[in-house]
Amino acid sequence: MLLFQSEEWIDKWCKRNSLERGEVLTVNQLWELSQPWYGNRLSADFRGRSVEQVAEIFRGAGLKSKFWYR
Amino acid sequence: MKDENMLWQIRRFVYQHFADIARAPRVDETASRFKISVNDAGAFYTELNNRHAFFLEPNTLDIRMAFPFSAAPTDFTVQANGKTYFANCAWDMLGIPTALHCDALIDAKFSESNEPVQLEVKEGKVTNGELLIHFPLPFTRWYDDLVFT
Repeated sequence: MLLFQSEEWIDKWCKRNSLERGEVLTVNQLWELSQPWYGNRLSADFRGRSVEQVAEIFRGAGLKSKFWYR
Repeated sequence: MKDENMLWQIRRFVYQHFADIARAPRVDETASRFKISVNDAGAFYTELNNRHAFFLEPNTLDIRMAFPFSAAPTDFTVQANGKTYFANCAWDMLGIPTALHCDALIDAKFSESNEPVQLEVKEGKVTNGELLIHFPLPFTRWYDDLVFT
């Protein structure tokens, strides 16, 4: 996941790498998503996540497009 | 894997080692910590790699990534708790202060323009929140090529 200052720079990067555009989140959105994703990563109880648990985190962050669930 | 409990203890040790001294433990260090042979520690490392608990450099027992921490230098440096960490990507630069539950100063580079940028995490908030992070691949393909992802 790469950091960009604007949509235009993302388009340039995709064009130069001959790649389709994926999904874009703001730093603020990703900061919110980071809390359930990474908040317990150092916990002794952490055992990884199932696909269903990942989908639940994405849903909780308001990510609705198929990109996050396929 | 015969000792599931030790497997996850080793996973925890690796992560805490990263958090405490900002680098991954070598397999011999892990063997010494758990009083097991290097061969057995290597088998645990391989199993944890296979389960995506962390990721080894190909064909080695050297840890490359324990998300959000990177053992290799990257364009995403995180200063937190008096230490300097490398994050694997733009998401992980936010993941490190989240995992450590602390404030942080993040030095990053924009892709394509290569310009430097600094973000700060302070009291649960992050600056430059309008900047953009591009996910080139859907979740189910993130593990196909981790360095690219």
